[in-house]
Amino acid sequence: MSDIVEEIRAAYGRVGIVLDRPATYGTYYRLLCGKCGRMVGNVGDRLLPDMAGALVEQQFDLYAAGLLGCPCGHQREVTRGLDAARWEAARRRHGGSA
Amino acid sequence: MNPDHETSVIEDAERRGRTELWPFWRRIYAQGDPLPRFTAPGAPPSYRFDEGEPLPAEYRELLLKMLRHEGERAGNKSFLGLMATCLDLAEAIFPDAESKLLKAEYLAEELKHAIMFHRLAVGLERDFALRDVPYVHYTFHLPRETWADDALFHFLVDLNGAFHARDWRESSYAPLAKMSATVERDEVGHSEMGYHFLQQICGEPRGKALVQHLLGKWYPAALDMFGRSDSKNAPRFIHWGLKSVGNAEIREAYQAYVDRKLVALGLDPPDERKNRRFL
Repeated sequence: MSDIVEEIRAAYGRVGIVLDRPATYGTYYRLLCGKCGRMVGNVGDRLLPDMAGALVEQQFDLYAAGLLGCPCGHQREVTRGLDAARWEAARRRHGGSA
Repeated sequence: MNPDHETSVIEDAERRGRTELWPFWRRIYAQGDPLPRFTAPGAPPSYRFDEGEPLPAEYRELLLKMLRHEGERAGNKSFLGLMATCLDLAEAIFPDAESKLLKAEYLAEELKHAIMFHRLAVGLERDFALRDVPYVHYTFHLPRETWADDALFHFLVDLNGAFHARDWRESSYAPLAKMSATVERDEVGHSEMGYHFLQQICGEPRGKALVQHLLGKWYPAALDMFGRSDSKNAPRFIHWGLKSVGNAEIREAYQAYVDRKLVALGLDPPDERKNRRFL
């Protein structure tokens, strides 16, 4: 397992998203909801170093507001636990759903 | 089956796939040539090579480098893998049945390109035709977690392919010049498909806010795809007639095209230097 893949796994694990096994010849990975297992996206293994963490961090507000993440709401709840003040601000800005 | 018949079978299949929307390039080209023509500095290169002709070593090396980067080849399993991720997304997060069908038309057309580039590769170097070349540029690996991500991927990344294909119309490698108009037209259509999805998503405020936010991820990556402005290879590509312009010039034209379309959606193009990796 490459360092980049481990970096991607850690970055997404922080917001409640699991990196699945390699799919499609090993270059791309499915992203699954950490709670219900639904596919929420995909990602490739050639991101640059430190890129995965930065991307997920930049998307914090989108998970908080329910603009990204699983319909089951898991990432919304996980991000609330990470930073409640930022979570509230994001939901005020984007009008997050319940 | 002779090659002309093969072509007519594909053309017939494409005709039957036409809808009011698909192919998206129709309406665009009806208004004229959408992409700028690039002109090589100085006198045009006098080189011209066809399939089967001996190629100078540097020419062959640069041509193969360009085709490795392009990637759309039937024998390149990493390309097929990328296409599979598009199907995965279409299954998991498609907004409606029409969008899913449009995505299938897109895939069919990309697979047509894979056949075309396969033929070109076989005519150039048989071993290369079967070589697996994973996409190296990070843009092809960025996470896609929403239909808006996928729309931006098509609008921006397929448009990059269209700009390069436009430049290949004047390519000194005849097989590439022959297929360039089809590839360019189709890639413009794929970009327009992405733009069509963006128009739908930006139709409501939350969608527009999402797209504006995600531009922070896709816009710098799209500009980075053209490579470094001081690339030492670019003058060699131009010398051999494989490209007409350097990375900076083609990026600048691309950016102007993209910015105009983003502004039409009511979006703010991000700072062109923010989050860039290859200036």
